[in-house]
Parts: sequence; structure tokens; C-alpha cells
Amino acid sequence: MSEQSVIHDIGYQRYTGVRLGRGYAARSLFEHGLRVAFGLGRSAKAKIFPWIVIGLVTLLAVIVVAIKAQSGEMVLTYQDYPTAVSTLAMVFLAVVAPELVSRDLRNQTLPLYFSRPVGRADYALAKLGALVAAVWLLLAGPQTLMFLGSAFTAADASGVGAEARGMLGGWVVSTAYALIFSSVSVLIASVASRRAFAAGAIVVVFMVSSGVAGLLIALGGDGPMAQLAPMLSPFLLPEGLRSWLYGTSFDVGAYGPLYGLVTLLLVAGCTSLLVLRYRKVSL
Amino acid sequence: MSLIATQSLSKTYPGGVTALADLTLSVEPGVIGLVGANGAGKSTMIKTLLGLLTPTSGQVRVLGLDPVTAGEEVRARVGYMPEHDCLPPDMIAAEFVTHMARMTGLPRTVARERASEALRHVGLYEERYRQIGGYSTGMKQRVKLAQALVHDPDLLLLDEPTNGLDPAGRDAMLTLIHRIGTEFGISVVVCSHLLGEIERICDSLIAIEGGRLLRADRIDAMTTGTDVLAIEVAEGTAELAEALSARGLTPREEGRMLLVPLADEDTYDLVLRTVAELDLPLHRLDQRRHRVAELFSTAPLPSLEASHV
Amino acid sequence: MTDLELRGVSRWYGNVVAVNDVTMTLGPGVTGLLGPNGAGKTTLLHMMAGFLAPSRGAVTIDGAPTWRNPAIYRKLGLVNEREAVYGFLTGKEFVRASAKLHGLPDADAATRRAIALVEMADAQDRRMDTYSKGMRQRMRVAAALVHDPAVLLLDEPFNGMDPRQRMHMMELLHGLGAQGRTVLFSSHILEEVEQVSGTVQVIVAGRLAASGDYRTIRRLMTHRPHVFAIRSSDDRRLAVALMASPSVAGVTLGKDGLTVHAGDYGTFTRALPRIALDQGVRVRQLIPSDESLESVFSYLVSA
Repeated sequence: MSEQSVIHDIGYQRYTGVRLGRGYAARSLFEHGLRVAFGLGRSAKAKIFPWIVIGLVTLLAVIVVAIKAQSGEMVLTYQDYPTAVSTLAMVFLAVVAPELVSRDLRNQTLPLYFSRPVGRADYALAKLGALVAAVWLLLAGPQTLMFLGSAFTAADASGVGAEARGMLGGWVVSTAYALIFSSVSVLIASVASRRAFAAGAIVVVFMVSSGVAGLLIALGGDGPMAQLAPMLSPFLLPEGLRSWLYGTSFDVGAYGPLYGLVTLLLVAGCTSLLVLRYRKVSL
Repeated sequence: MSLIATQSLSKTYPGGVTALADLTLSVEPGVIGLVGANGAGKSTMIKTLLGLLTPTSGQVRVLGLDPVTAGEEVRARVGYMPEHDCLPPDMIAAEFVTHMARMTGLPRTVARERASEALRHVGLYEERYRQIGGYSTGMKQRVKLAQALVHDPDLLLLDEPTNGLDPAGRDAMLTLIHRIGTEFGISVVVCSHLLGEIERICDSLIAIEGGRLLRADRIDAMTTGTDVLAIEVAEGTAELAEALSARGLTPREEGRMLLVPLADEDTYDLVLRTVAELDLPLHRLDQRRHRVAELFSTAPLPSLEASHV
Repeated sequence: MTDLELRGVSRWYGNVVAVNDVTMTLGPGVTGLLGPNGAGKTTLLHMMAGFLAPSRGAVTIDGAPTWRNPAIYRKLGLVNEREAVYGFLTGKEFVRASAKLHGLPDADAATRRAIALVEMADAQDRRMDTYSKGMRQRMRVAAALVHDPAVLLLDEPFNGMDPRQRMHMMELLHGLGAQGRTVLFSSHILEEVEQVSGTVQVIVAGRLAASGDYRTIRRLMTHRPHVFAIRSSDDRRLAVALMASPSVAGVTLGKDGLTVHAGDYGTFTRALPRIALDQGVRVRQLIPSDESLESVFSYLVSA
């Protein structure tokens, strides 16, 4: 019975360990954003919507694979896939972008971020990055699934190789969609502090611009206007890019490189505006 | 090394509003009260200290660093508790504080541990696993304090920490802040307009008015004793006044109290003897001290002296 | 001389009883309505101002009910806690609008008087959105005073004010009270109330817990020993002698002096000087440490 009695010191402990810098903080924010987008680590209610969307996009991929296995025909190519689910992707963004961005604005949580080493630009870029990654996963995940399914039913190694190349092409298109859709959506969400507002605004912007583009295409007939007008629609811009790179979508005539430029400018422009927007937020 | 030092610090906004004008001060570690700077002055001061605003002219140093050039470093070592509501209602407190810890560069497991500890230190126990939306004002204030404290800052900036709290909550928060400033060894700047609070927990005071420094001094320098003794009896004040005059003290009436000049130590005895002889109930005997509030009752000619507190 | 009277006033919303059987009379001078957040202060003020009907009981000013009685507004002015002001109006326009709404025959003169009363003549021609919080508050008080009411009600008037603004507002209220007006202001910040008026009405969870001067209220709490802090030339010696007195319930020695719990206030306050003198101890400080509004309030809340 010679045990020592001790009162343990559980008073305040100072921290002398490592402090990781801005990069780590930005990465954590990115990770956090990705988790929020898919409802991970939050209540069951928050998971419903994203997982329904995931379910639907996966279902489509599974159907394509099943049909391919049955009849050997690829009803939807890798590159076609993003277009097929583009509306769903837009809806996903309309719900998730505000979730990620408007909430911090509404709750006035930003001062807590900006009084930390993470800078304003880092915050904006991390949020954008999380959204781009989320949309990309939504599109590229099913494409990968299609590849896996097709690879199993492929005739030989070269067949697998062809599938792989196809998938990579699909990934490139998915990247274009992810970048274009996300940069526009998150910019819109960052100026609206109410989620419903932001969601509505995103849908309106996408729909109206498509409508205008559609009108101009119809008016343009066969001329240059029909080849240029699609740039105005976020649904058609990545398709134009796809045509330029792979020639697998509508006819863009000589304007292919222009599509590339416009994509670049749009994404860069939205990103800059986003960063600017956060610079102006007061503490 | 001083905690915060400014040299002719000025900030004028593009619209022409001058929030800070020619501020020169030097503050030692401890608990410091920041008073009187409502509106533009206070938030400008905080943003400047955090490196989120560049001064129009002059210099500022926080913990020896220049927030303009070393802003990131300063913000890693400073904790900020805003005045307004800033917590997401749909997040669990423990998760939120952990997230904030990671935003300040703490690795994942350390962040989680320190978040738990910070919440314990501010007095939140099993509530920390509930969503913030269901918290009372007092609990929300504590969470705000916890997120400012979680990364073990060297300096805490607390903006109106007792805002919206009822007397008991106010008392608890002040005790907590005092503990942090003394036991934890973290310096604290408390923005408040309640002078009673400041007198209670702060060692020194910075008073800003109209963007200019009104006074920067230690609290005990501002609350020195005067040469006046205050006496209060539950009854018989007039009698006592007469008797004291008869003994050569010249009492002055103030409300229920009598004030006599405190010439020397003997005055205490004289007063006591007089009261005892008259068999009067002695309610209060107290050397009058200066009060911080006096600073604001005199005509506002702001002092531009550089002050070392 | 106008009296604001509440008799057996209660107000409930379904199962929530906001105000529970309150009876009080307010006369000329400044009274503080004190209570924690959610205690029912605003509800009470709104009933006094005729915005709400009491579920039971009567609220009257000089005998006339405040509810459904537009004539009462000639005698009453109310300054609410949160009020959106039209920022594009100048101070003068704002007060003048109030004067016009009251149908005053000489709106300009009344406006001038009211603005002079709150000492805002210099800033009256500036837009209200350029005012500081304290200035806006003063202008709203002017608007509430423009018809020279005998009763003025203010809901949390010191909210967010810095010390100098608060001091000005306090002086203003004191002045109005000294003029013979009945001024009632509500607050949950004890420090503010303590300095403005000794007379308080304390509301806790909808019930009126105490009325009057808070120091006197303290002395009414005879079941609670009074606590005094003493510093002397020989604390321990004094402590021992004090313990011998039946009026003393307990003595604690600390590094800052003695703390005495006196069960019998009257006897103790008379005995202390004698005991100290007998022991040859010099008393440098005797302070009643639980007489502050904060202590009184916490006792009332926990009662």
C-alpha cells in the first residue's frame, strides 16, 4: 500500500508543438469543404441530397455498363457522359455552393477565419477548389466506374487500353465542366448571403444564359453565329471545348481555340472576382 | 518587450473619415482595457493590430512584429473574439473549435485535443457535443472565447466579451478572463465600455476618443487614494457632522455620506472615537479613491502624450 | 406631478407568462427597471406605453388607462430599444416629424426645445445615418420629448454606449427627473442603473421582486447576514474580538483584510467602533461588500 497519491495538473497547458502554416490551413479548409459538399460529418439530413445525386449519376453509369455488357454497344461514351448529367450537376451546385459559401457570410463567421493565418485569397481558393473537386468527383467517378465495367468485358489488352484512353478523354471533359460550373456558381453564391437566394440565382443564371444561347443558335442557322453562340451557355461552353480538343461534339468551325480562350478567361475571371469579393469583406 | 506599441499611428479611410489620429502608446503584458473607442476607432484598431488594415501613417508593433509585413505570424499568435454573433448554428461546438484550431495551423489530433481542453477551460462540459444553435448567449460567448484560445495565443483580443450576458454570466466571464490573464499567462486586451468591469479585471487602460489617445495608464495609477475620507452612518448624520466640526474636522455632505479631509493616520482614530461616543451605527469608512470614470467627466481635451503603461 | 400606476398587472401569451401580478406606482424622478434578459421588462414597458393590453389588471396614468387611449400619448413618450430610423432624415426633420404626428400647434418651436434639451443643436442639420449610436439615441429621446410629456419610458437606453455618451445620457435623464417628469428606464446592466438612480424596480421571471432604493432593500433582507470588508492595523486581533460579539456570525481572515458576516446589522454597526477602540486597533476601511446593486440583485434572483 505504498502507492503515491497525486493531484494531477490539468490546468492550462501552453502549446509548444509545431504550427503548420497557411498551406496546411488552406488544405484543411479544402478538405472541410469537400466533406460539407457530400454531407460527411454532419447530420443525416445533410446527407440526403448529395447522396441522392451520387446515386443517380452512378445509376446512369451502371446502366451504360450493363447495356455495353449485354449488347456490346456504348450508348453513352465517356465524353458524352458529363452532358447527360449536366443538369443534375447544376442542381447539385445550386444546393452545395451556397451551403459552402453563403453560410459563412450569413453567420458572419468570416472574421474568425480572417483573423487567422489563412488569408482571404486562400479562403476563396480553398472553397472554389473544394467545389471543383466535388463536381469533378461526381462526373469522373461514374466515368471510372464505366471504365472498370467496360474493362472487364473488353476483348483484350488493347481493348482495355482503348477504354482507358476514352476514360481519360472523359476526365478532361469532366474537368472542363467542373471548372466552368463551379467557378460561376461559387461566385454567385458568394454575393448572396441567403442560401435560397443563391440557389435560385445560380439556376437562373445557368438557365437564362442557355436560353439566350439557344435562341442565337436557332437564329444563326448555319453561320458563324451558331458556332459562336454556344459560348454563352455554361452547358455548351465545355462542349465547344470538347469539340476543339477531340472534335466529338457540335461543329465549332474555326473557333475552337476561341473556346479554349473563353474557357480560360471565364474561369480566371470568376476566380479573380471571387478573391476580390472576399478582399472586400470587412472584419 | 512591450505587448503592443504604436508610433503616431493614423488611419484615414478613403471617404475622409479619420478613425485613428496620431496614436502613440506602449503597452506591457497583462490585462488591458480598451475604452471609449466606439464605432470606427475600435474596429480600426483591432483590424490594424491583426494586420488586416494598413495604417495611413505611423507604425505599429504587436508582440514585437509588424502586422503589416508579418501579418500571418501575428495572426498565428493572436486570438480574436468578435463582438457580434459569428457562430454557425448547425455545427457542433467541439467540431467547430477543432476546425478553427486547424485553421490556425494545429495538426489534426492536436487540434482535437486542444479544442476539448479549451472548451473545458471556458466551462463547457457535456454541452460541447450539442449544436451551437441551441446554446444560450452565455454559452455562445464561451464558445467564441474557446476558439480564440484554442491555439494558445500570446495575446487575446476580446471585443465586448460580456455583451448580452446577465449579471451572473457577466460575473463568470469576467472571472474567467481574469484567470486567463493571470493564471494562464496570456495577455488580454478587453474592449468594453463598462468601466466597472475594467476597473475590476484590468491592470492598465487605453482610452481612445475621437481617434485620439485620451489616456493610457495603469489602473492603479488612475485609482490612487485621495486625501478625503468618506464616512457613512446609518442614522445621525447631522449629529456626527456637528461633532466632527467641533473636533476640527470640516465635514462636507455628499448624499448620505460625510467627507472629511484626511490629514494623517490620526484622522481615522478621531472619526472612530467620535462615532463610538455618539453610539452611532457606522456603515462605511473609506478613503476616497479616484475612479476611471473621472477621465470622461472632464472636458474632452484629448491628451496626446505618449504613455507607457 | 404624474403617477404611473400598475395594479395586479399580468400578461401572458398562451402558456408563457411574461408578466405576473405586478403592482407598482411610479412618481416623479428617475426609476430603473431592472431584470435579467427575458424577465419581462420590455413587455411591461409596452403595457405602460399602451402598446399591449394587460391580460389582467390595469395600467393607468393619473387614473386614465393606457390601453386604447390615444389621448394618453399627450402625457407619454416612449423610446424603444431598437428602432429603425430613416437615415436620410436630418435630426431636426426627424424630431419635427414626431412633433407633427403629435399635432402640435407650433412644431418648429417644440422641435427646437426638444433638441436643445438633449443638447444636439449642433448636429441637428446632419443626416441621421452620419450619427454615432449615442447621438441617434439622443435624437430619439428628443423625438419622444417633443410634446413635453410628463412620463418618459426608455427601453435599454444605454445599450452599446461608450462611457462619455452614457454619462451624457445619464445627466439628461437626471435633469428630466429633476424637472418633475416621471422617467422609467430599463436595463440589465447593473453598473449603469446603479449610477443613474438609486430607485429600482426589480423584475425576475415576470414577477416584481423588489421596489425602492436598493440599499434600503438590502437592509430589509434581515435573514441574510450583512457582509463587511474591514482593513485595520491588526486584523487578527480585531477578528478575535469581533467573534466575541453576538452580532457577528462569522469572520474570515484574508490577505486583503477581514470579512465579517454580521447577523445583526444594527448591533454590529454600533459595536464595531467600540470594539476596535477597546482593542487599540485602528480601522482604516469599513465597506459594506454586499450592498451593491449586483449583490442585492443576485440575492433577489436566488430568493
